[in-house]
Amino acid sequence: MYKRLLAGLLAATLRVDTLVARVYPDDFNPLYYTGGLANLFLTVLVLSGIFLFLYYTPSFDQAYTSVQFLTLDVPYGQIIRGIHRYSADGFMIVVLLHLFRNWFTERFRFSRDEPWISGMMLLTLTGFIGVTGYMLVWDQRSEALVAMTANAAAQVPLVGGWLRHALFGGTGLTDLLLPRLLFLHIGPAVGLYVFLWWHYTRIRHPKVWPPAVWTLFALGFVVLLTGLIPVTSQAPAVVSQRPQTLAIDWLFLTPYWAMRFLPPLVLIALAVVLIGYGLYIPYQLPETRSELGLKDSGVAQVIDANCTGCELCYYDCPYNAIVMVPSPNPGVTKAAQARKLRAVILESRCVECGICVGACPFEALELPRLLQKDIHEKVLSACQS
Amino acid sequence: MPELADRPPSAAGRRGPKIVGFLCDWAVASQGLVRDDGTMRDLPNVTLIKIPCSGFTRPAWLEFALRNGADGVFVCGCPLGDCFNRYGNNLIGDRVEQLRRRLERQKVNPERIGALFYGKHAGAAFVDAVRAFSDRVAGMPGPAFPPRKPAPAAAGPASAAPRTGPAAQDGQAGAPAGREGT
Repeated sequence: MYKRLLAGLLAATLRVDTLVARVYPDDFNPLYYTGGLANLFLTVLVLSGIFLFLYYTPSFDQAYTSVQFLTLDVPYGQIIRGIHRYSADGFMIVVLLHLFRNWFTERFRFSRDEPWISGMMLLTLTGFIGVTGYMLVWDQRSEALVAMTANAAAQVPLVGGWLRHALFGGTGLTDLLLPRLLFLHIGPAVGLYVFLWWHYTRIRHPKVWPPAVWTLFALGFVVLLTGLIPVTSQAPAVVSQRPQTLAIDWLFLTPYWAMRFLPPLVLIALAVVLIGYGLYIPYQLPETRSELGLKDSGVAQVIDANCTGCELCYYDCPYNAIVMVPSPNPGVTKAAQARKLRAVILESRCVECGICVGACPFEALELPRLLQKDIHEKVLSACQS
Repeated sequence: MPELADRPPSAAGRRGPKIVGFLCDWAVASQGLVRDDGTMRDLPNVTLIKIPCSGFTRPAWLEFALRNGADGVFVCGCPLGDCFNRYGNNLIGDRVEQLRRRLERQKVNPERIGALFYGKHAGAAFVDAVRAFSDRVAGMPGPAFPPRKPAPAAAGPASAAPRTGPAAQDGQAGAPAGREGT
């Protein structure tokens, strides 16, 4: 069932690709650069966030006025604030595209579970950062969000009270609330970079930046939105009266909208289940190559005698599965006599793609069950038939 | 057509030129395209060899095929930018370009070596591209490599040998002799 669904989704994804490819050449297909676009938006968010941080005062009586001052009186403040808001939306959109694209094209297979899992954590952190960002403005929406979140957190069995205290510094509105929220906005944003490092460790030459055309287009679109729909605060929060309405940002605040229909505890359980399922996705299809109908060629092996330590495989391995280590002895062939290094395969990272084999001009790498000899035999029989 | 008699039979065979293709497991789905012996259903002169990723192909294997009687070789990978293994198709695209330049210096028509990029469900477009490639190769005279027996022709590959590296040379060792006429 799931397999058939995934096959259908893969077909649909590739169909979308061919449609986009009619407009853009392959190298500029924006769907191939969702990760790079996310990194672009994240960079914009960090830079504009630093600017906002310089003006923000995390206290009940000054938070709202400092944001208003920033928006109305500081030169370009309105624009920077808008860029921060709309980049966050753009970030969420491309992150979700990235998630679904890599899911549907099965890019979680073999040893690629670690980028997937770190990606799920990045997504969770992103949602959290987005919500705390809306709380910092301290308008009526912020107050409603804080009240709803605190209420929901307190209902979690066993750890509820502790959770609420950890998030908001105690019951009710304490003086700790806004400084703590400011940290909960910026701290996880730093955490994003920790998880990004994990996201990238198994990837050689990650596409961290989209092509210049798309960089300019994304930035231009954000600035255009900033001008067309200026970001404003709602009325300031009044502690004595609970706000009645909640303006929803669908990308970040959908759970709060859902609280109208579902009890908070159900929503929290749903979130846990969704995140748990997300972490489980790479292990849901533990198929070996033969089960996929592919030849099981085996993990690439270095032929020590031939390795010249030239590092070509090391540069080309897409999964960082090859490291160069100091060579204790020279190789056997003439070209390998003067080597200082030799290649070593990290077998747990190898996906058996054989790109290192194609990279090696010295025949020092082979897939154990698909040797150069086998390829030669196939070529010869093809030529003789 | 008197000059046809001079040509070795490989290029002017009844079924068209002999073409060897390396097909990535993740690119065009081969079900329905390929017979049991690896030849393509619509183009019996094309034999496909399945490989785990287009980047797995050693350029030396393409040259090996050309030296052993193939009139054209190509590699097919996923669309550029969408390689399942991230960069395999970009890498093989570059390597095919390098091989073309190298073989052009050895008087081999670079159009005999192709790099195609088609996605899993683009079977029809892939067949069309292979047919176009096959037709193009069919129009080229003679075998891919000039026969080695005459002395002046042998000087060409030998002088270019150091460029290919000792290992690539090993890969071709024993291959060219004797099979040129097939």
